[in-house]
Amino acid sequence: MAAELKNDRRVLYLYGITESRPRDLPELIGVDRFAPVEFIDCDGVFCWISRVSADDFEESLERNMENLDWLAETSVAHQRVIAAIARQTDILPTRFGTVFRTQDSLCKHIVKRVPGLKKDFGRIKGADEWGVKVFSIQPAVSTVSKVRSGKDYLQAKAAMLPNRRSKPAARGDLIKFERALESIAAETAPVGNVSRGQRGLSFQASLLVKRSKRKRFESLLEKFARDWAQDRRIECTGPWPPYSFVSRPADKLRAK
Amino acid sequence: MSGAGNAVIFAGDDPGDETTLLDILDHVLNQGVILRGNVIISLAGVDLVFLGLDVILTSVETALKHMGAALPPAK
Repeated sequence: MAAELKNDRRVLYLYGITESRPRDLPELIGVDRFAPVEFIDCDGVFCWISRVSADDFEESLERNMENLDWLAETSVAHQRVIAAIARQTDILPTRFGTVFRTQDSLCKHIVKRVPGLKKDFGRIKGADEWGVKVFSIQPAVSTVSKVRSGKDYLQAKAAMLPNRRSKPAARGDLIKFERALESIAAETAPVGNVSRGQRGLSFQASLLVKRSKRKRFESLLEKFARDWAQDRRIECTGPWPPYSFVSRPADKLRAK
Repeated sequence: MSGAGNAVIFAGDDPGDETTLLDILDHVLNQGVILRGNVIISLAGVDLVFLGLDVILTSVETALKHMGAALPPAK
């Protein structure tokens, strides 16, 4: 759909900002799966953009967001572009759906923020984001075999559900796990606005881990996974670009 | 689920990998550099359009529900 050159206005979709220009970057296709990704040099800071239809990404953005197919394809494309750049150089990823109308307004805005951006570059230097989730392993439903009434069934089922408040020892384990992760990670951040409802999920965090500590990080996860073999399953995703570690609190922005 | 509870499940950043869409959305939509507030803005000096995260997440949840996808409510 976006592949046709409609006679509409183009706007600049911003993926992220880098301090250096990677030399071996393959040609990347933007979020509309059509326009190539380009960079704009704003006073020595590189802004990675592609030119997208203002129709799709400005006027109809909100409506498009409600279309899961569109959102899925576009966010995967967004991730692909940023991950490809992140493999070559540190990048501050911009929030999904950030669009500028003109190159001039983009540069003006970025140049004003360079000192703050430099600080963020310092924080994420040589580090990746990792997602860690812990799931309780739940017994198969077929173990509810001796029920005689609906009440029996519900009680048996309730007993199988992860109980958030009980078992202080189990929660203590999770706290220990969290502390151990914090001791390795440069920073941690909450994550899971989208997937927090997953069944059995009992812990979830996003971690910024220096590449030099990656081995230690993996060994730690493996150790806990071994200890928890019967009760819990650990899932780790990454490396992600540092999506969760580059934003300034909104109030700071407003205070300006 | 598979019973192989003794190993960490690692998934890479390549969408062709085992990473699920939920994970991608979790990270991609989590933050990112916020350039300005939380609403669509079109100022005279800086023509920037930005959609707030809350709107996005509400949309994701709505869309998943429409599809009957596995996203139980948060509570």
